[in-house]
Amino acid sequence: MMILTGKTLVSALRPPYPYGGEFVSQFLFALKLCWFPLLISTVAFGYGAPGLQAANFLVLFGALDRLGGFFVLASIREFAPFVTAIVLAGVAGTAITADLGARKIREELDALQVLGVDPVKNLVVPRFLALMLVTGLFDVYALLFGIFGGIVATLVNGAPLGPFWATFFTNASTVDLWGSVVKCTLFGAIIAIVCCYKGMTASGGAEGVGRAVNQAVVVAFLGIFAFNYVFTQTLLATHPEIQVIR
Amino acid sequence: METSIGGPRQWLEATGAMLRFCFRVMGEVYGLKVFRYFGEALRQAGILILSSTLVIWSLIFIIGLQCGIEGAYFNRSVGSPAYAGVFAAWCDLRELVPYSFGYMMAAKVGTGIVAELGSMRISDEIDALEVMGVPSMTFLCSTKLLAAWMVLPFIYLSGVGAGFLASYLAVVQQIGEVSSGGYQLIFWAFQNPPDLLYSVIKGMTMATVIVLVGCYYGYNASGGPVGVGTATAKSMVVNIVLVHIIGMLGTQLFWGANPRAPIGG
Repeated sequence: MMILTGKTLVSALRPPYPYGGEFVSQFLFALKLCWFPLLISTVAFGYGAPGLQAANFLVLFGALDRLGGFFVLASIREFAPFVTAIVLAGVAGTAITADLGARKIREELDALQVLGVDPVKNLVVPRFLALMLVTGLFDVYALLFGIFGGIVATLVNGAPLGPFWATFFTNASTVDLWGSVVKCTLFGAIIAIVCCYKGMTASGGAEGVGRAVNQAVVVAFLGIFAFNYVFTQTLLATHPEIQVIR
Repeated sequence: METSIGGPRQWLEATGAMLRFCFRVMGEVYGLKVFRYFGEALRQAGILILSSTLVIWSLIFIIGLQCGIEGAYFNRSVGSPAYAGVFAAWCDLRELVPYSFGYMMAAKVGTGIVAELGSMRISDEIDALEVMGVPSMTFLCSTKLLAAWMVLPFIYLSGVGAGFLASYLAVVQQIGEVSSGGYQLIFWAFQNPPDLLYSVIKGMTMATVIVLVGCYYGYNASGGPVGVGTATAKSMVVNIVLVHIIGMLGTQLFWGANPRAPIGG
């Protein structure tokens, strides 16, 4: 997998760049496939986990306006990136593995190589770049809808929205936002590499493709969460100013 | 490449077919027909324990660490590092352990079932079973559901333990701003047995849905090796959406009207 990462990076940077068309089609494909599951997932997650539970807790203290500040921590820093990553891995990642796995089984990848077309450059690189870009952009989308979940939770508790926004914007910082987007983009890279690798090394007929998808999702999830832990830890430790509640 | 998004009519038809399938599988478990193949159910349970437990635990463990550090930093920022236990207790037990259990179940068990059943369908093994007079749906799907119900509550409970341990390690050993006793006091004060029961119900609902969705997509796979891959990918989409919806509804149902916290009125 590391070798594939290296090869992908090298052939992404070294000319020629024949992967423009494939990049666009993969980008649109991921966009089309993921927007709806992601919408439902982020609203449900934002409303349930940080929204309702935190609102419950804050209502006890009569401080529901603090929910906005909590959403900066919960949604921007944690939930939006990882829900995006889960949905992208589960939806776009599995589709990529299934697609590449099927091509491997039908020996299309070997045929490409015989024709002198480099599968890494023409198949992996566009998927890698498209998934990175799409995951980073979807992070913003997930943020919006996660916060929408928080708004619904506020309204369910019968509180006005003004204080929510006030605490939200006083607590939000640029570091949080770029941390979130960078984290998500790197999640996209992890997903793309794992899924392409598992797809390209699929073997053993019909069951092989299914098993490749299975393994790809499991490895991608574990990779995402392990990376998430390290990244959050580093971000929080190196930027103490984002922890100050204002 | 086809997408799973069709028109509303297609959606409705697919949902109806899936529901009918699910009720039939569940009916066979409740109607005790499945006990004719109890041996197969035990074998499936064994596979579940041996192949899935470790990954489920490890994902929950990582999530527990995550809850721990977020809780510690959040409570430090509001000036009450000693109360990191509240965040950890709620985050672990009520929300993220069920979610991560659902994610891992969908990824490991759900797609595994689709891959297995799908390839059986493609290589005509399911038809062969029918020809031999074995009711394939009972033998393949209902036994899996029964095995899941037998084994998963225990895997889930031990997973909760893994999450708690991880949060403890993160808050007390790693960040180290609260003593072990102080953390435990708050941690255990903010949860009680009904909370655990609700959490298990949440996790088990997710698990049941995931197994049923996996069986549906595997059992009805078509279109050669490519079809198995596509079916696996599709089942993952459905599972992820359903896991989130169940998580939200569970929270609303169990804790929406009653925070169940030992604070004031």
